[in-house]
Amino acid sequence: MDNAPKPRRESEWRLPHFPLRRFARRWLFYPAIVALGVAAFFWPARELRSDNFIFYLPSGPHMLPVQNIGNAKYLPALQILNLLGKVGQVQEKKRVLKIGFGGAQIELLLNDPRVRVGGATYELPQTVLLSDGQWMVPVDFLTIVLPHLTHQAVEYQEGTNRIFVGDVKPASFTVRVDSLPNGVRLTVQFTDKVTVRTASSNGKWVLYLGERPMEPLEPSYHFRNPYLSEMQYDDQDGVPKLVISPTSGGLNFYPVQAEGGKILLADVVKPPSPAAQTVNPSPATTPSLPNGPPSPESPAPQVTEEVPATPPGPPLPIVALDAGHGGTDTGGHSRDGVWEKDLVAQYVARLRSELLTTNKYRVVLSRTGDVNMSFEQRALAANLSGAVYFLSLHAGDLGTPSSCIAVFTYQPGSDALPTGDASPPLFVPWGQVQETRLAQSQQLALALQQQFSSLTGVVADPPAGAPFRTLRSVNAPAVAIELGRLAPDQDATSLTNPAFQQQVAVEIVQALAAYEKGGQ
Amino acid sequence: MSVRAKIFLLLLLVGLGAGVFYLRILSQRVFLEPSQRGEETARAKLSQIALQPNNGTTQLATLYFPLADENKIVAESRSITWAQADADRVRQIVLALAEGSHQGYGRVLPTTATVHAVFLAADGTAYLDLSNDVLSDFEPGIKSETLTIYSIVSSIMINIPSVKRVQFLIQGQEVETLDGHADLTTAFTPDLTRVKSNP
Repeated sequence: MDNAPKPRRESEWRLPHFPLRRFARRWLFYPAIVALGVAAFFWPARELRSDNFIFYLPSGPHMLPVQNIGNAKYLPALQILNLLGKVGQVQEKKRVLKIGFGGAQIELLLNDPRVRVGGATYELPQTVLLSDGQWMVPVDFLTIVLPHLTHQAVEYQEGTNRIFVGDVKPASFTVRVDSLPNGVRLTVQFTDKVTVRTASSNGKWVLYLGERPMEPLEPSYHFRNPYLSEMQYDDQDGVPKLVISPTSGGLNFYPVQAEGGKILLADVVKPPSPAAQTVNPSPATTPSLPNGPPSPESPAPQVTEEVPATPPGPPLPIVALDAGHGGTDTGGHSRDGVWEKDLVAQYVARLRSELLTTNKYRVVLSRTGDVNMSFEQRALAANLSGAVYFLSLHAGDLGTPSSCIAVFTYQPGSDALPTGDASPPLFVPWGQVQETRLAQSQQLALALQQQFSSLTGVVADPPAGAPFRTLRSVNAPAVAIELGRLAPDQDATSLTNPAFQQQVAVEIVQALAAYEKGGQ
Repeated sequence: MSVRAKIFLLLLLVGLGAGVFYLRILSQRVFLEPSQRGEETARAKLSQIALQPNNGTTQLATLYFPLADENKIVAESRSITWAQADADRVRQIVLALAEGSHQGYGRVLPTTATVHAVFLAADGTAYLDLSNDVLSDFEPGIKSETLTIYSIVSSIMINIPSVKRVQFLIQGQEVETLDGHADLTTAFTPDLTRVKSNP
């Protein structure tokens, strides 16, 4: 009889040999599932992303915040009507909202899908709701009711966040990808002429499609090749653009326009091997698009750099534009639901165009799209690109009922770097670098304030210092421009006016010219 | 299934049920019930003590409030019966600011704002730990945040000479900005150029 212990099989070493082994295998599985269910129950809810609905009107694009309630998208009723015409008397009762609009009276019934316009009744697929004190209508209101109110054509593609009203006819485009020996060629054929500017941001290529409204056939295109992974259409900040994602870094992007702007050909190719690379062409001399071929391997990953059409020569100075806030940081808001982050993005878009039109500057954007950016990333965008000016745009309550613009320079809370006759320190801490530029920043602020004073109906505050965090690490003349008044007790009608936005952009460009003439 | 296995399963299920029940109660406490914790009650008592000292001297203190349309801060006198300790005096100043201006100037802090703690360091830095209620009903902006900060800093330092600078904390943490604009990573000293002489 052999009493020696039998050698244990390998599986027996993994689970200890105790009576509950089989039980554990069979029955611990279900409690584990229950535990996972409990964990899922208590898991914090996903943070909501704020989306915009873009109204393309003959006067320009306008944005409204869209809310996802249940399975439907909702928009604020009064803000829609404010955009499209003059709202008359508004009577709010417990369950009914009566709005005078263009000679007709609209009746919205709370928790009811019916909308009465004059004598007619229209039924929406979802009910009218009240959210945060605002009367919200489902997006279908735009196609079912709106044409009877405005008597204008309304073009809306189901599921999208954009609508075209009146004479606004959107362009569209088709996409094709062809193979090349060492890459692919992306062909984007537009239905109309489009002015394209390219930039690189966050490792992606961005094609700005000018002011022309667009209605893409597909919101995004996915590719299966080793060079391109995706192309998305994005106009959430009111600026139509295509965002192209390469599959990996280190690829070259050579866009060129053909047929007078109706076709865009973009070659995405692997860079030649170092042995074969004899000459490294500079972006200024590449005769493709006005701004040359951007590469996602730019030094600053968050930087968007653009240059106007220029003959070969010394590089143009760079202006860093900083649209305040972004992403989950919405900033302030107005009574009619305009968020600071969206408003300042509009101003930056106009200022960018105005600066590039002068053919005197290149532009770096510290934020592209609706994304969160840290203060350091914003400063990095300016410092790494060697910007000569840094302009940060904000909007807020400036304490005056009328339109007001205030220009701020950085003011340290305490312990400022020594100034005066003392020689500047050899090394300046990153967080104090703006203090070495304060004199220039103050002169720039003065030039801007003088220029804003010429705007009619606008109060331009004297330049002042402020412990404004964004400016602290910027190594260039830097100012913050705060536009007002954006406050919850007032509509932002004057600030969203495209003509006013354009005026502000023009004044800023002229202020830069005046500052340069002043000997800086 | 053996008897031991059945007992083990029963105990496991009972334990799991108790855990779920406890989590449910906990979530209700955290998410639904108003915060009436001992710590906050203690803070409220501290504030009350700071506001109503028994045997201090009563003096006219100078408080500063924002004048947004002029981008200035303006002084207002307020009778305060001082507490003994400077840290309590800082608390008194901040709570008096939260009370609002008696002359109709701008608001510095909401009435709900509470002071969690005040620490006075040996180098004269006052660490002022405010509740995040300071941001309720607050209009974010460069100007509004700047005026708020300098109103508080100037009010504290003109009344309590031992305070050389003020470092703000929110909910016990050092924060980057007040509400997206004003830099709170460094301590503040008053800026006398912002003070408007009384009309």
